[in-house]
This record gives sequence, C-alpha cells and structure tokens, in this order.
Amino acid sequence: MSSHWDRREFLKKSSAATMAAMAAGAPLAGFLAGCNEAKIKSTADTVILLWMAGGMAHTDTFDPKKYTPFTKGMKANDVLSTFKSVPTALDDIYFSEGLSAIGKVLDKGTVIRSYVAADMGHILHSRHQYHWHTCYKPPQSVLAPHIGSWISNQLGPANKVIPAFIDIGQRFSLGEGEELKAFHTAGFLGNEFGPFIIPDPSAGLESVKPPIGMNMSRFEKRNQLYNELMSKGPMGEMGSDYQKESMRRSMEQAYMLLKSPEATAFDLSKEPKESYDIYNTGKFGLGCLMAKRLTEKGARFISVTTEYEPFKNWDTHDNGHTRLADMKKQIDGPIAQLIKDLDQSGHLDRTLIILASEFSRDMMVEGRPDLKVQEQVDQPDIIQEIKNYGMHRHFTDGCSMLMFGGGIKKGNVYGKTADERPCKTIEKPIKIEQIHQTIYHALGIPQDTHYLVEKRPFYTTPDGLGKAAMDLFS
Amino acid sequence: MKDLNKKSKPRKKVYIVISSMILFCILQISLNGFAESTLQSPNLNTYWIWKMLGRLHPMAVHFPVALILLATLLEFFTFKNFNSTLRPGIKILIATGAIAACISAIMGLMLSDEGGYEKELISIHQWVGMATACLTCTTWILLNNLLKKNNWQLIKVYRLLLLISGLGIIVAGHFGAAMSHGKDYISSTIPWSSDYDGTTKRNFDLSAFNNDTIKLTKQQSIELNIQVRAILAHNCYKCHGAEKIKGDLRLDRRDMIFKGGENGPVVIPGDAVASDLFRRISLPSSHKDAMPSKGKKLAEGDIELIKFWIQKGAPWPDSSEKNIFRVAPLAPRNPALPPIVNGLANPIDRWTSQYFTKNKIAWPKLVDDKTFFKRVSLDIIGLLPNPEDLVKFTKDTRPNKRDLWIKKLLDQQDDYTTHWLSFWNDALRNDYTGTGYITGGRHNITDWLYKSLKSNKPYDQFVKELINPNDASKGFIEGIKWRGVVNASQRTEMQAAQNVTQIFLGLNLKCASCHNSFISDWKLSDAYAFANIFADSSLEINRCDKPTGKYTGTRMLWSALGTIDSAAPRKERQAQLALMMVQASNGRFYRTLVNRLWAQLMGRGLIEPVDLMDNEPWNQDLLDWMAFHFQENKSDIKELLYLITSSATYQLPSVSFKDANKIIAQQYQFTGMLRKRMTAEQFADAAATIIGPLFSDSMLMYHPAFSKTLNSIHPTFARAALVSNNPFLIALGRPTRETVATSRESQSNLLQALELTNGERFNSMIKKGAQTWKLKYVTTDRIIKEIYVRALGREAQLSEYQIAKKLLGDQPTKESIEDLFWAILLLPEFQIIY
Repeated sequence: MSSHWDRREFLKKSSAATMAAMAAGAPLAGFLAGCNEAKIKSTADTVILLWMAGGMAHTDTFDPKKYTPFTKGMKANDVLSTFKSVPTALDDIYFSEGLSAIGKVLDKGTVIRSYVAADMGHILHSRHQYHWHTCYKPPQSVLAPHIGSWISNQLGPANKVIPAFIDIGQRFSLGEGEELKAFHTAGFLGNEFGPFIIPDPSAGLESVKPPIGMNMSRFEKRNQLYNELMSKGPMGEMGSDYQKESMRRSMEQAYMLLKSPEATAFDLSKEPKESYDIYNTGKFGLGCLMAKRLTEKGARFISVTTEYEPFKNWDTHDNGHTRLADMKKQIDGPIAQLIKDLDQSGHLDRTLIILASEFSRDMMVEGRPDLKVQEQVDQPDIIQEIKNYGMHRHFTDGCSMLMFGGGIKKGNVYGKTADERPCKTIEKPIKIEQIHQTIYHALGIPQDTHYLVEKRPFYTTPDGLGKAAMDLFS
Repeated sequence: MKDLNKKSKPRKKVYIVISSMILFCILQISLNGFAESTLQSPNLNTYWIWKMLGRLHPMAVHFPVALILLATLLEFFTFKNFNSTLRPGIKILIATGAIAACISAIMGLMLSDEGGYEKELISIHQWVGMATACLTCTTWILLNNLLKKNNWQLIKVYRLLLLISGLGIIVAGHFGAAMSHGKDYISSTIPWSSDYDGTTKRNFDLSAFNNDTIKLTKQQSIELNIQVRAILAHNCYKCHGAEKIKGDLRLDRRDMIFKGGENGPVVIPGDAVASDLFRRISLPSSHKDAMPSKGKKLAEGDIELIKFWIQKGAPWPDSSEKNIFRVAPLAPRNPALPPIVNGLANPIDRWTSQYFTKNKIAWPKLVDDKTFFKRVSLDIIGLLPNPEDLVKFTKDTRPNKRDLWIKKLLDQQDDYTTHWLSFWNDALRNDYTGTGYITGGRHNITDWLYKSLKSNKPYDQFVKELINPNDASKGFIEGIKWRGVVNASQRTEMQAAQNVTQIFLGLNLKCASCHNSFISDWKLSDAYAFANIFADSSLEINRCDKPTGKYTGTRMLWSALGTIDSAAPRKERQAQLALMMVQASNGRFYRTLVNRLWAQLMGRGLIEPVDLMDNEPWNQDLLDWMAFHFQENKSDIKELLYLITSSATYQLPSVSFKDANKIIAQQYQFTGMLRKRMTAEQFADAAATIIGPLFSDSMLMYHPAFSKTLNSIHPTFARAALVSNNPFLIALGRPTRETVATSRESQSNLLQALELTNGERFNSMIKKGAQTWKLKYVTTDRIIKEIYVRALGREAQLSEYQIAKKLLGDQPTKESIEDLFWAILLLPEFQIIY
C-alpha cells in the first residue's frame, strides 16, 4: 500500500503543473476520481502488452477446432483449423500446432477464448487497433489517450529513468502509418505521457544513450556547459517561472536517463548469448527480450508488437496457413521464455502480460455472423491452391487472448467459442471495456478515473462503465 | 434703508457662502475632468496629509449627520414656540453641524482624489453632500438673523431649509454608504428586493424563511428552482437524465421528477422528510441507498437547499426556462473609448490605461528594442530577426520606428503566411498527412489556405469560403471520413457542426451532438438542426449513438441571426449559413477571432479557454471594442495584428508565473504579455536560421513558390510549417491535427528533452553547422560572438564568454562548436519569447 501512495504523491507533483499549463481546454483531473471507491489493492506494477497486429485467427492459434489438412478440391466451408492441435500444460486444453512452448506455460496463466471485437462496419485494421488501444472508436472529437498513456499518467514511471510507456517494434512509415499514429499518442493527456518509441529493438540502445559519436565524458561536459551557461545568463536572474522550470526539469531527466546504468536494460548485447539466441526469432522476439530486461529494472507499460503492415505478418489476406506457421515461429519461443524468465526472477507475480489482437479471422465470415460486413477477400468455395487455404476474412465474434501474471488466475480457461462454424463466442463474451478495466484494476486504478476535457468528463473506459472481469483474477 | 441694509446683509453672506461653494465644486470637477469612465481615476500625486485627511472623511461625516438630524428633530418641539428653551441648543447644533458639514465635504473631496469609486455614485454623493453643506450654512446664517428679529416668513423658510438639510444629509449618507459597502448592502438583505443575494449565492439564505407561513414570491420560486436544478444537473443528471434513466427516474424534467421512479415518488412537495430524494442525498455515502451512488456526496448547503425547496412545495414553474449557464451576448458592442492618458493614443492602450487605473497598476516601462524586435518578429513572421536587421532597427532613430518595422514585417508576405499557416492548420485540422487520406476520406486545403493568408483575405470572406467551400477549401467542411461505420456524433456533418461552432464561435457543441448538454443549454436537437445544414438529407437524431427515429429541422443556433431554408439544397444552405455567420450583428463571431489572435500574441486570451466564448473576459470593453472595429475595418487581420503589436500594451515587459494554474485562474490580472515558449515550428526555423536546416528541401509538402527550387523564396530553407509532421516536431508540440487544436502545450517534457538531447535530426543539424562555422568563423572569439548575437541577439557577458572560451580553447574543434551550439539552443533564454 505504501508504494501506492508514493505513486500518487509522485503524480501530484510531476503532472499536476503540466496538465494545468496547457492553457486552452486544459484537461483537469476529474475531482470525483478515486473519491468514492474503496482503494483497490493492486496486483501488478508492470504491464507488458504483446500485440499481434493484423488479426490473429483464433482457430489457428489458441482456440483450435477440427483440423482439415489441405487437399486440392476441398470445400472451404469444411475448414475450421488448418493446423493440428497440440496439448498444453492443462488437461484437455489444446493450442494450435506451433504454439506448444506457450502451451507448456499455460499453467501460469489464462487463455481467454471469448473476446468480442466491436462492430464498426467495413473493416479497417487501424480502426480496430485504435479501439483496442484507447477503448474508444475513432474518430473522436477529442484525442483519446493510448492505454499506456493513461497508465503512465496515473502511475508514473516505475523507475525514474525508464520511460513509463515504451512502444517496441512498430514503424510508422508503413501503410496506414498515419492511422497508427492516431492512437499511439497520449492525446489530451499531453505529450509527457506519450509513447517512447523504439521501432527496432536491436537498435534500442541508441534511443537511450548519448548521441552517436559522443562518449560519456563529453556528454557529461556538454551537460555541465549547459548548466553553467544557464546559471550565468542574464535570464537566470529573472526568477523562476513554470516554463523555465519545466525545461530545466525535463533536461535533467533526459540527462539522468541517458547516463544511467539502467540504460543497459535497452542494450540487448549485454544479454548472455544462450538467452539471446532463444529470443532472437526476429524483431518481435528481441522486443520480448527487451521487455524482459526493462521489467527487471522497473518498467510501467511496455508494448511489443509484431509489426503491423498491410497484408504482412498476421494480416493474412492469402496463404494464411503457410504464413501462420512462420508467425508462430516468431512468437512461440520468445513469449514462453519471457514468461519463464520473469517467473524465475520473481517478477511475474507483479507483471501482467497480455497477448491480444484487434480481431480474429475466419475463412468464410467477414465481421460477425449476425452482422456481416463488406467482404475484402475472395474465397473460392472449393480450394484448389494452397494460397486460399487459411483464415483470410476478418472475424470479430470470437478472438483469443492470453493473460499471465499480475494476479491473473493460473491454469485457467475463460469463455468459449462454438466448435462448428461460425466459431463464435458462446460463453462469457468479454469486450474491450472489461479488458481495459481489468488491466486498470490490476494496477489499482479505479473505474471512475477521468479528466475533464473541455468541461466534459473523459473516462479511462467510455463513460466509466468498464467493469473489471473479476473472475479473471485468482 | 437701515432695515433694508440689515436684511440684505445676511443675504450677502448667504450669496458669498453659496457662490464660493459652487466655485469650489466647479474647480474640483475641472481638476478631475469629466471622464467617461465608470470608475474614478486616481490622482497619484496627492500630498500625504491631504490623503490622510481625506481618509478621515467617513469618520468625520458622522458629526454633521448626527448634529443636523438632532437639530431637525428638536426643531419639531419648537413649533409652538419659536423661542423655546431648546432654541440656544438648536443654534449650537446647527452651527457646529454646518461647520462640520463643510469640513466633511472638503475632506470628502480629498478622499475622492484617491479614486477607485464608482463614478456615478461618487458624483451623486459629492453633489448632494456639498449642496447639503451649503444649505446648512445658509440655515445657520438665517437662524442667526432670525434670533435678532423674529420674522414669521423667514422662520418658515428657515424651517424648510433645515428640513431639506436633514433630508439631504440622509441622501448623501446613503450614497456614501453605497460606495463603501456596495449598492445592495442593505437591499440585499431584503428578501423581496431584486438585490436579494440569497438566491444568487450558493447558499440560499434559508434563515429568513424558516417560518413556513412566509410564501415565496414568483421570482423567488424561479430562482430557487434554478438553484435546485443546477445542483441536480451537476450531481444527478448523469444517471437520472435524458440519457440514462436509472431506476426509471428522471430528475431533469418537471413531469418526470414528480412522477418518481420505480420505487414511487421521490419528491413529496411540502414534506422533505418523507421525500426519498432528500432521504437518499442525506445518507452517509457508505449507505447502500445513498445518492449519488457514483461520485461525491452533495455539499451540506446543497442538501439543505433541496430540503428547503421541497418544504416550500418544490416549486418548478412551467415558464422557468432561465439559463443556468452563463451565456455571452451575441450582439456586437462598441463601448466609447476612455480618454488618452499620458499620450498613449492607441485605442488598446486607452483601455489598458483605464484597466490599470482601476486595478491600481502603474504602467511599467516598455521593453527595450532588442526584446521587442525578437518578440514581434517571432509573433508576426515566426522567424528570429537576423543580426543585420537588428542593428538597423536599434540604430533607427525615427520616433515611430517600431510601428514602421511592424509594417515591414507584415509586408513580408511569404514569411508571414508560412508562420500563420501553422496556427490555421491546427485550428482547421489541416495537414499534409493524417488519418482519412488513405481511403480518400480527407482533403487538403493548404493551397487555398496559403493563398488566402498571403493575400490577407478579409476574415469574413475567408470564413465564407470555408463554410460554403470551393473545391480547394472543401477539406475543412468535409471533415475526416474513416472507412466503416462511425459514431453518429462523429459523422462528417456533425464534425462540420462541431468544428464550425468551436473555431468560429468559441462554442462547444460536442456534448450536444450526442445528448442534451450538461454544461450548456444546448440540446441534442439544436446540434442536429445545425448539422443538417451540412447534410444532403436530414439526419436522424441519435442519442448516445442510438437512433431515436426522430428528425429535427434545419436551424441556425441563434434564431436572431436568421433562418435557414431547410428545403434548399445543401450548397444553398451552406451559403445562407456563411452569410449569417459573418454578418455584423454576429458579434460573437468577431470576438472569437479577436480573442484567438490576442491569445497568440499575448500568450493568453482575454477569454480563456479560447474555445469557450461564454466565459467572462478579463476586459469586456477591450474585447468588444476590438471586435467591433475589426468588423468595421473590413475584417482585416493584418490591421488587427498591427493595432495590437503597435500598442504599448503589447510592448510591456513579459510576465510569467511560478504556478501555471494562475494563468487560467479566475482572478487573473493582466499586467503584460505572458511569456511564450517557441512553437515547434518557431524553434526549428530559428535553429535553421542560425545554424542550418533541419529539413531537407525534398521534405517540402507544399511549395509556396510553385517551382522546384527554393531560391525564389525567403528564407532559403524548408520551413517547418511546410513539411509533414515528424517525430521531432511532434516531440516539440506540433499536434497531429486529427481534431481541432487551438493552443499548444507550453511546457517541456522528457520525450522532448530526449529528442533534443540525443535525437538524430537535431544532432546531425548541429554537426553540419559546426563544420561550416569552423571554416567560416575560425577563431574562438568570433564564434562566441556570432552565436550569441545570432541566437540571443546580444553579446556574451564576461562570465559567459569565459565559460565558452574554456570550452573552445584557442583552436576550436568541430566537437566543441557542436557542444556550444547545443547548449545555447537549449537555453530557456533562447526557447522562451520574452
């Protein structure tokens, strides 16, 4: 509990001034926030979001159905899964082939098989991603903050020199990059709570060390020069004001961060080779490694993504089967290792790991069985070529998620989808508001957390109605 | 003759006294001047003794009051016998009273010198006071005369004069008290008076009403009802309003509140204790029945007021449509300019002088040439002055050189346009990249915007072309269309309604586009009626994204501004709206723009936030005057910028606060421009001016000169406003322009500091620059001199020179120059506009 209060104190000191200073339309912390609810006892200090960008088919990953191997001339409608099922650590619970390493650590977490994504008409990935990350459907009349920004805003960094919200693995120069930018933002909370972006984890160190070509002693001298010139300048006598104060403070923070020994957490070359090799399945795997290293040094919110690029990675508009085999190779080892490593170092208890995707995929249904939307992939009824063998349409009514650590039940299965097409959610549907509030709850952030933006209350979940799924907690 | 002489003698005395009094008054008035201000202006050079005596006036004035009133009273007892035994006493009372009245009057005039009183009150008080003093003197003289020779005619005159004196002293006393305690000091305690403050303050004065037999007047009932509804709106409507009807209970309408909820009636008029509403709001918040179930318990005063309201029969008049929320007047207003003080003739300064007088602020000395020139350059063209111009300017000896140089800056058309492009891009959420473009759901208006700013298009025309657009300007009204289904309150027609009202009228329609607003009196139907102007066919009203099956007409928000022909095609309706918006009688439209430009230049609007024009300005007259004359002056934006920047008000020393909250605090007092941090674009362009470009020419997204080379435009680097948003500019605060943005963050943060400390773009710019400087300026002294002059507009002080010298040594290396660049560009002195 004491750490909880420290964080609150920290917040008051560090962010109150910033918020107020944004003159017009300045958001004001909702005065009701936290007043009425009994203090939530937090079960997590850190959140790691493993983001499967592009739509991960549930029947080919964590919720396998009847397997139908590829044969020329097969009926598309018969195909529910394109992979065999493999056992997990739990009796009678199976994952799709290629995910057995994660399956083996399922005794440390929960698989959710009933996530239902929103209905937003003709599907655009970035809109659903926006919705998943902010809990609000775009467009919005105010800039909605990313969940990582809310957490950063509410709790501050766990370690002063590690940015509170770190986003690993996404470039914004690709297709739909502008749409991705629209939710990778702290929105009205202000840049201070925005993501610290590391597009490529293998170059992550460069983001947190002195500029290229500058050694530490020159870096220190340069900083000293700055401080001397500032104190000797005529404006030094003009008294302190909030802008100058904020400049001084932020420069100091940057300096501290860039010269701090913790920065080595960003340096993957410091990882023992044996461990590095397990993680090194590509950018995503190395992102998991960085997340592990940062968590051990004290991180608040880290997002690691399989990069989103239209028609790449999980965005399988064709060759779904073959491409998924490859995707699983990228994620299976590193994720399982991340869970094991954090468990071993004792961090898993206070670290909530979430794996999620904006929606699922199905071979036949675009949207929701009860509310189909405009199809984007031509799927022949009779499959002749391997490229048509896979889950290529966007399916919103039954998606899988994983949760580990941070107070989440161990060895648990939450929700259920039908075993026959449409393989939609039939038990315990769970929506984004509940997912968000569950995460906030684990962190001890009350449901009514909000700011007044342009005099209107803006809650962490729409209208503050998101309820934590308490049966996900142990 | 003797008799006549005897008679005329006292008359002469009377004339002398009266005429000297009148003379004194005239003298006094001419000294003070007939200012048209509503407040007395102070005379700051008063000798302390006069000041002290003046301040004794409120005490001394009680002597004549008591003496004369007593004399008047006693006079009644002498009606039967003029030569009663009371007569000598009355004589003494009147004599001392007359002397005291004269002394008090003189003291009063001294006090009025100090100013700060309401002009209207003080002039009445002054005249009545002095007249009374004259009158008492006359009475005294007359009485002296009478005692020597009884004359019945004169006795009547004398008695009449005394009576008038007594009344006069009461009247003068009343106005005196009104000045020191406020006009409604006494009347506010009277429940049936219109000044009664029990209803205007948070706590209704319940003590006066505890007796159940007292009936409320109609006016009181309305006031009480509005008070109660304000409390309900803020605490209960969220769950018991039009949107959510928890427990089947709605508290926002008369019929609904008395109907009650699923557990029956909640208000039993006349019986608070039996009313469930009162019971529940009184419970401790831990109780399961306590209300509000979400949120804070009501304040004690509020609970008491609701109880009182129920006890009084829960009045809720049918006609009670009075607004709960402040609504600013719509019409333009042209207040008369205050007089010129100390030769400050710019109309803005005349208002400022008046404001300073009223708030007892002395005019500070204006900023020096260097500070002024840097400030005005950044404000008008967004660029640092180059050192050559700075020298020319400081050496310019023309008395009106500041005005002339402002004009020169305003004439640098491309520089001016590029700077203001960012402001308008933010507001009109226009950008080269962003959401929507990917599926053709968004259009860029840069070309139209650039040309409009460059030609200084009159603001009314500018807005007409945005609301009723041509192909080049349609991107604004068409909004951002994402693929898929969007929330009803975010369809493009509603975006247009929200953006038009926010930007051009400083009105928040965002709430009302989803449900009846809690923060204003705008209703869902108002928002839809307005949005219908931009719709091809009438929109079905959605409440909180749920279709209602209802439709509303097509209306302007204020019927006073005119009517829209709902049958006309969309283009026609937009044309009608455009004309309606810019008509002279829409004072709010012009005030909104004037306030925005004022905020850009002065760091803070006359009204804050700049998007909520129903809030109170810190100087209504100034705002109204500027808006009125801006409209009269062909809505010429450059003229307005000139008027403001050429004022002494703009040229006051900048101010800042330790606590940023003070800026938007209600009791904000203007004393000068609020210090501003350079915007992302100003900073990037300043760095480019001094050291080298941050953006390559190939990054230009819009080319003002429409040619492939940059040589034809000034400056010769790609200015930040013309490149697409990037991590560097985002870190420094350029908004994403997904929504309307009308202000920038004024503080720095860690991500920004990191971008400046080890960001690649900034550091490589510094590296290239250092290379060039090493070859160009060679020596340590030259480099130090150049960087200080170029970046800070001054030479290094000795202590600074020594620090820099220590770094660079005798043979400056490229690395040491880089470090010096970096340190200087990050100094607050560089980044803040003083």
